[in-house]
Formats: sequence, C-alpha cells, structure tokens
Amino acid sequence: MSNSRTRTSRRNFLLAVGAGGAATVAAIGAKTLPQAEDTNVKKAPQGSGYRVSEHIRNYYRTTLV
Amino acid sequence: MTGEATPHAAPVEVAPEDQARAEFYALLGRLWYAAPDQVLLDAIANAPPLTAEGAHGALAEAWRQLQAAAAAADPAAVADEYDAVLVGVGKAEVTPYVSHYLVETGRERVLVALRDEMAELGLGRVGATHEPEDHFAALCEVMRHLVGEGAGDAAMQQQKNFFTRYMNRAYNPLTDQVTASSKTSFYKHVARFTKAFCDVEAASLDML
Repeated sequence: MSNSRTRTSRRNFLLAVGAGGAATVAAIGAKTLPQAEDTNVKKAPQGSGYRVSEHIRNYYRTTLV
Repeated sequence: MTGEATPHAAPVEVAPEDQARAEFYALLGRLWYAAPDQVLLDAIANAPPLTAEGAHGALAEAWRQLQAAAAAADPAAVADEYDAVLVGVGKAEVTPYVSHYLVETGRERVLVALRDEMAELGLGRVGATHEPEDHFAALCEVMRHLVGEGAGDAAMQQQKNFFTRYMNRAYNPLTDQVTASSKTSFYKHVARFTKAFCDVEAASLDML
C-alpha cells in the first residue's frame, strides 16, 4: 500500500540514481520534444515525420461532427 | 481499495522526480519512434549531466555515454541506422513492437488487450497513425501520460500495472538486441540508456 514512507523511499531512490534529474531532461524537453498539451508545431524530421501535434490535429478533426 | 473519497477535481500535482520521469519517457518515446534530428542531438549533448549517489551510477553513466554519442553523431547516419535496424513490421532486424517479446504466438491478443486498456484511459491511435499500439515508443508515450496524471495511489498503481504488463518483460530483449546489432552505433547508447531507465522504473514501481 502506498503511504508516505513508501513515497519517501521511492523518491529517495529516484534521486539517488539520478532519475530525479529534472533539470537535465527539462532542458531537452522544452526545446525538442513534442508535448501532448503543447500544440506548437516543431520542425519535422525527414522520413516518417512523427508529430504529436499533427496527431492531435487529426484527432480534433475526427471529433468534428 | 482504500474506500476514501478522492476528489477528482483537485489539480494534479506532479512532483519534480515524476516530472523528470515523464520527460524521460517523452525523450525515449521520441528516440524510439524516429531517429533524432540535429536539434535533438544537440539538446541531448548539451543537457546537464545526471548526478547519482554512490553505487547507483548506471543511469547517470548511460546518460553520459548517450550525451557523448549525441555530440559525435551525424543525423543522416543515425537515420540510416534506425531505418536499417528498427523499421519494418515483422521484418525489421529488431522489432520495436513489444508483443513479439511478450508472447510466442497470439500477438493479436496482446494488441487487443492493450487497445482496450488504452481506450479505457481515453487514449488511442488517431488520424494517419498506422503503427500498431504496441510500438515501444507508443508505450513510452502512454507512461508519460500516466505519470502526468499525478502520484495518488490509484494513479501510481495504474503506472505500475501498465509498465508491468507491457514494458517490463520487453525492454531487456529489445534493448539487448539493439545493443548487439552489428548495424547500430548511436542506437546502442539509446538502448543502454533505455535499459538503465527501465531498470530504475521497474525497481521504483516495485516499491509501491
């Protein structure tokens, strides 16, 4: 069962292994990663060109009845 | 089941370490879905290091090596590598579709279960997406979404269940094969970092 002690030990573990490195990934995330909540269109790579924002647009299109 | 009434309208608070997990999942989802462009390679190379304590250095070391690889990588070569090893349903040298690692036969049953589960979460394939849902990148995206749902008991259990059912037994064979491939270079580091991160996830979710 989750309780505050479990939470604390899990948090301590994540911090100890470095997975709490919010600054590290935030530095990447802000610049380059598609965010579901973020509909800014990022530069598409060549090839398959996966874009979450495009998916979201498509999704919205499917909801327009 | 605690039986306590949890107000669902409360704003979701995401702790810094969970925010970091969400961002790692986003990064992994991106790297497994398609080869990185120069912008992403630069961002990885220039991001701060991870700091770990004592004997817990595997993730930080894998990150350091991924950063070094990103700094030296040529996006065109990385794209060739990705296409050569990971592209193609059923015929790729290494398949990124996890149902192949979860069952010997009856891959469709895994897909159906996953599809149902995602529908329950309000997630699904949309528009022009043709990839089956069990692509490792898609699972990373689901985990990113679930982590963003907060760290309440039910939310954490949901993360644990999803990770256990679809990622836990798949990430080792997937990343091992990518690392072992004679055609990979940059993606060996992606695979090693993925493995290190999933090891951490497995251990931390196991604490729940």
